[in-house]
Amino acid sequence: MRPIDLARTLIAFVVLVLLHFTLRPLLGWRVGPDFLVIALLLVAIRVRPGAAAVLGLAMGIVADSIELHAFGAGALAMCCVGFAASWLKAVFFADDMFLNAFFFFSGKWAFDVIFLLAERRVGGGELLRELLVWSPITAVVTALWGLLTLLILRPILRPSRT
Amino acid sequence: MSSVARTYGRRDTILLAGCVVLSLVALFLPERMREPIATTLRRTVLAPLVSLQSDAELSRRAWATREERVAARDSVTLRSMSLDALSAENARLRDLLGLGARLRWGFVPAEVLSGRGVGEQYTMPLSAGARAGVREFSPVVAPEGLVGVVKTADPTMSIAIMWSHPDFRVSAMAADGSAFGIVAAHLGSGPERYLLEMRGVPVRGTIPPGTEIVTSGLGGTFPRGIPVGVVLGELETSELWARTYLLRPAVLPSAVSAVMVLLPARADSGVAGVWQTGQGTLAATRAIVNAGDSIFRKSAMDSARTRTAADSLSRAAATAEPRR
Repeated sequence: MRPIDLARTLIAFVVLVLLHFTLRPLLGWRVGPDFLVIALLLVAIRVRPGAAAVLGLAMGIVADSIELHAFGAGALAMCCVGFAASWLKAVFFADDMFLNAFFFFSGKWAFDVIFLLAERRVGGGELLRELLVWSPITAVVTALWGLLTLLILRPILRPSRT
Repeated sequence: MSSVARTYGRRDTILLAGCVVLSLVALFLPERMREPIATTLRRTVLAPLVSLQSDAELSRRAWATREERVAARDSVTLRSMSLDALSAENARLRDLLGLGARLRWGFVPAEVLSGRGVGEQYTMPLSAGARAGVREFSPVVAPEGLVGVVKTADPTMSIAIMWSHPDFRVSAMAADGSAFGIVAAHLGSGPERYLLEMRGVPVRGTIPPGTEIVTSGLGGTFPRGIPVGVVLGELETSELWARTYLLRPAVLPSAVSAVMVLLPARADSGVAGVWQTGQGTLAATRAIVNAGDSIFRKSAMDSARTRTAADSLSRAAATAEPRR
C-alpha cells in the first residue's frame, strides 16, 4: 500500500472509531451500528490477513477494556473477522453495493457469533435469540451504515492513480 | 512467486494463531490480572474515547429528556404563577384564624363550596349547615367585614345571600354613630353593580367620604360593629328628606373563599371589639387621653397634699417656738 493510500485509510479508520464512541451512544439504539467492525473491515481488505488479525486483536482488547465481563472475547472475534475479511477480499469487495453490504453484514454477524460464544455470558434460548434475531438485525443496520460510510468516504478510500 | 505466497500465507497463519492464543489468554485471565490491564488501557489509550462516549451519552439523555425538562419548567412557572394566589389565600386564612380568636365563641367556620357560576353570583353555598348550628338569618362575616346572611340552612350545608344580592338589607351607621341608614346593593350597571348604597340617612347627618360604615345592631339580625364599607360619596336622588351615600364594600365577592357564620347566641351578645373600627379607635384614644388626665390629676392632687402637709408642719413648728 502506498503511503498516500495508507494515510487515507488511516483517516477513514480514525473517523469510524470516533463515530463508534460518539454517534453510536448518541443514537442510543438497541441495534446500533458497529463502527469498529466497519473500520476493521475497511482496513482489513487493504492489508495482509496477518496484519488484519493483529489489528483486530488490538481493537478488540481496547474495546474489551470497557466491558470487563467480555475481556478477550471481542479480541478473539475481531482478529478472526479481520483475518477472514482480508483473506476473502478477493472474493468480496468488488465495486458492487450488494456485495459490499453482504460483506459488512457477514462480518458483523460473524463477529457477534464468535463474541457471544466466547463470552459465555448467555446461553440456551437467550443465546439463540441473540444469535438469530438481534445479531442479524444489528448486522443489517451495520451493513447499511457501512454502505453509507463507503459512499461518504469514497473520495478518501479510492486508490490513488500511479 | 508461489514460495513467496506460501511464506506470506504461513506468516499470516502464524500471526492469526498468535492472536487467537493471546485472545484466549485474555479471555481466561483471572479477574485480578485482567483488571489492571483494562484499567491501564482505560486511563491511557481509551481515556479520550471514553470521555467522548460519556459526552455523547449525556447529550443523548439531554435530548431525550428535553420534553420532560420543558414540562418541568412549565410546571414550575405555573406554580410560581399560582404562588401569589396561594399567598393571598394564606393571608386570608390567617386573618380568618385571627377573627376566630377574637370572636372566641359562637361561630362556625365554613367554606364557600363551589365557584359561582352564571346567575348565582349573589348567593354562595356554604359547607356548614343546621347540624353545625347555622340558622336562617345567621350573619356571614369575613375578617374584612360583613359578607351576607344565611338564606336557607340545610342539615349539612346552607345557602347565604351576599351583600350584592338585590334582597340584601342591613341597618348601618357611621362608625362614630353620627348617622344611621339602611345599606343595600347599588343596582347600577358595570363595575358599579358591586358597590353598596346607604339610604335613608337624615338630611342633617352629613357623612364625609372615607367614613367607615358599620352595622348598627338595629333589627336584631346583625350585631353592632361589623364593618360594611367605606363612604365614597353622596348620590344625587330625588328624595328631599334623606340622603343616599355610595359605599365601597368592606368585603370583595371575589376574595370570599372561607367565611364565619355567627350563631344566634353570638349575634345576640354582640361583637364589640372584634373588628377594629374607627369607633373602637376613637374609644381607645379617648380612654388613653382620659387615663393620661387621671394620672395628671392624681399627681396634682398628690403634690397639693404634700404641700398642705408641709405647710401644716411649718405652722406647727412656728407655734411651738414662742412657748420655749
